[in-house]
Amino acid sequence: MEVSWETSVEKSINTIYLLFSAYLVFMMQLGFAMLCAGSVRAKNAMNIMLTNVVDAVVGSISYYLFGFAFAFGEGSSSNPFIGTYYFALKDIPNSTYDYSFFLYQWAFAIAVAGITSGSIAERTQFSTYLIFSFFLTGFVYPVVSHWMWSSSGWLSPSASDLFIGSGAIDFAGSGVVHLVGGIAGLWGSLIEGPRAGRFDAFGKPVPMRGHNATLVVLGTFLLWFGWFGFNPGSFDKILVSYPTTSDQGNWTGVSRTAVTTALAGSTAGIVTLFGRRLLVGHWDALDVCNGVLGGFVAITSGCSVVEPWAAIVCGLVSAWVLIGLNIVALKLKFDDPLEATQLHGGCGAWGLIFTGLFAKEEFVVQVYDSGASGVSRPYGLFLGGGWNLLGSQVVEILAIVGWDSISPATVGTHTRVIRRKHGPGTTQTMRGFRTGS
Amino acid sequence: MDCSPADLQGLFGTNASSAAAEYICGRFDAVSSKFIDTGYAVDNTYLLFSTYLVFSMQIGFAMLCAGSVRAKNTMNIMLTNVLDAATGGCFYYLFGFALAFGTPSNGFIGRHFFGLSQFPSPSFDYGFFLFQWAFAIAAAGITSGSIAERTQFSAYLIYSSLLTGLVYPIASHWFWSVDGWASPGRADGLLFGSGVIDFAGSGVVHMVGGIAGLWGAFIEGPRIGRFDHSGRAVALRGHSGTLVVLGTLLLWFGWYGFNPGSFVNILKTYGESGSFYGQWSAVARTAVTTTLAGSTAALTTLFGKRLLAGHWNVTDVCNGLLGGFAAITAGCSVVDPWAAVICGFFSAWVLIGLNMLAEKVQYDDPLEAAQLHGGCGAWGLIFTGLFAKKEYVNQVYGGAENRPFGLLLGGGFGLLGAQIVQILAVTAWVSVTMGTMFFALHKLNLLRISHEEEMDGMDVTSHGGLAYVYEDKVHNKGGEIQL
Repeated sequence: MEVSWETSVEKSINTIYLLFSAYLVFMMQLGFAMLCAGSVRAKNAMNIMLTNVVDAVVGSISYYLFGFAFAFGEGSSSNPFIGTYYFALKDIPNSTYDYSFFLYQWAFAIAVAGITSGSIAERTQFSTYLIFSFFLTGFVYPVVSHWMWSSSGWLSPSASDLFIGSGAIDFAGSGVVHLVGGIAGLWGSLIEGPRAGRFDAFGKPVPMRGHNATLVVLGTFLLWFGWFGFNPGSFDKILVSYPTTSDQGNWTGVSRTAVTTALAGSTAGIVTLFGRRLLVGHWDALDVCNGVLGGFVAITSGCSVVEPWAAIVCGLVSAWVLIGLNIVALKLKFDDPLEATQLHGGCGAWGLIFTGLFAKEEFVVQVYDSGASGVSRPYGLFLGGGWNLLGSQVVEILAIVGWDSISPATVGTHTRVIRRKHGPGTTQTMRGFRTGS
Repeated sequence: MDCSPADLQGLFGTNASSAAAEYICGRFDAVSSKFIDTGYAVDNTYLLFSTYLVFSMQIGFAMLCAGSVRAKNTMNIMLTNVLDAATGGCFYYLFGFALAFGTPSNGFIGRHFFGLSQFPSPSFDYGFFLFQWAFAIAAAGITSGSIAERTQFSAYLIYSSLLTGLVYPIASHWFWSVDGWASPGRADGLLFGSGVIDFAGSGVVHMVGGIAGLWGAFIEGPRIGRFDHSGRAVALRGHSGTLVVLGTLLLWFGWYGFNPGSFVNILKTYGESGSFYGQWSAVARTAVTTTLAGSTAALTTLFGKRLLAGHWNVTDVCNGLLGGFAAITAGCSVVDPWAAVICGFFSAWVLIGLNMLAEKVQYDDPLEAAQLHGGCGAWGLIFTGLFAKKEYVNQVYGGAENRPFGLLLGGGFGLLGAQIVQILAVTAWVSVTMGTMFFALHKLNLLRISHEEEMDGMDVTSHGGLAYVYEDKVHNKGGEIQL
């Protein structure tokens, strides 16, 4: 039985779209590596970059062997909590999932561990980090993505049996990716404690500037570039038409998603620029970079189901969430070298709430029911869509925080995520030589 | 979508006019044309974006090189990388592409499309030329790593032109042109009934670049201070680990154009399969095998060097990663993902072993390019001869159903034999051409820079100054202040 011409065209176009989106998401590894390198002190640059490279390579193996299976393994006996098929890509490709989908999901999985590495930078034993990265990418993250993104997941908006009639909408992962990474980082950072010298004897913070602002900006722009794969690419397929329109389909949704992404990041950047000018008295490039990234993290959840004007609101609030959480962190003597918990955890949570407030019904139906006519779903509270979507979003936040606190904490106690005691910096002793740039 | 008005008219009965049949067939022909146009548009989009990715490997390699050399030679090595692309562009357009793909021709060398005359043709459009150009300039970049920090700039220009314009195109003709003597796509006369399977160029690109580098570095000799009086190796550290990591990850990104892009077309069905599987699946599978080989190689290197050297070394891991990619490049499209893991695992040990050997024989290669591209490239060819899967070989290369495939999967010795022939042929060809060229330059005193220049660094002696300017006011030799 030969593949029909129509199917060939559709599969080719969709594969090109998904594969190139996956490559863009992979670029974010590089962006994050540069952001991290620039944000830490020179003596620890090799360490943090190695953790970023290791996240990718360790994650490849764990996600291939079982991570993808836990996330998307669906079959006759699938359950809403965890997947149980496709270990080591057995029975892939099939009519639902091709290799391109695996590669795209792999690129997401390795991003999560990278986030956490920022929170525990400059003071974590490398062997512990290896174990943690393997476990996060191979188990903790895939289980959460199963809940939200597999059609058998209990919180999924594509399930046959929707949670409180809605399911939670986390389109590209403000919760699944960013909140998971951020909360894991929160625990690591809390258990380890601040870097030596970060707070003086009176509890006042001592600035520990990163060693290279150029790398921070380079990394930020590479992350922005990659986000055009992260958000729009989450449609998976571009060649899907909406039956109630004459010329619209996923290609429209994809492009709109790219627009909402750009607007949210930009707005967050501008608001951060002026906000910090008020608070600290100068125009701070690095703060703006983090503000921009926070905006992207926040819009990630609802990028496909909100109007562009709403994305501006998202970015505006996300900037203040980040600024506020940073102030709180300093007061509580919480030290996160990349502000990863505040940015990914905090702005990620705000993003989920934002979606529950501003999701537009027409877009929700397009994304999750392929635009079928006569379908109605809960949507944003502020647009009149009721409380069910917002309720599901809150449940998602609680579920992730709960799950993410049990599992890494368990790992943490078993492997003792302990800081190095003293010493001339992890880089010199652990890497054999120092970086000079 | 063939429609014959005569046949159709017959179905309407003996008295029917031909007008209806011609009208209907005309409509079918119009639809059929649209389908063909769609196919070209889809395939060209795919090929062009893959090309842009392969091109981004130039910046990746430039950053890798910059970070791996000492600061005083940074401008030099980056200029060579930029010029590889630029001179390659000119020479590959003028005659390189023709020598590689000019068909119809003989098994050794092509002879059409000089200066892209008769372009575009039914066989080749501009996208294909650009894709091949991106590959050609990659090969020249590899060699620059081996001879870094001690080679006269004019020698770079000469070797780069010769490699991109002549040596590499001819090698690629043998294995990638339908007329090539060792090509797996020949209509008849397949080498050992198989032809060589070097899908994206472990041999054609990586071994060619690596062997050329081997001769250049060997003839020039090690950098000053690389081996002390007792022959022990002295580490000459690169000046920026960050640039090494940046370059490595950019190369990884670009490899997604290099390997899967080598399918050239994505809109192709494999007749006998189910309703979802076609060339688009094979393309995606190739991206997966690429990823797994590199990752496994990197991890193996991480733990291997931890055992051997006692610490976790990020630049070694980066090199291990790249070696894994160089190895899987030959068989990425014809092996299963689990086999790619095996490829990466052994590639790591090949690289570690060759590096140890290089130190023992006092061979100095600043980017370990000969070991990585030459050594891991050769391993990749062998690996393909062992693990190529019958179903994939038939889908990708067509031909007889019973053509040889991986030895360890029961496919006989035909493919492995052909792979070994490629290793020997490439080594011989590149040694004869580039080895002779480097030797001639050496004899004419045009190859290596002077002792003084090497100590001062090439940036200040030949390139106008250092790459890094940390102070605005500089006291120059005359005691004056320069801003």
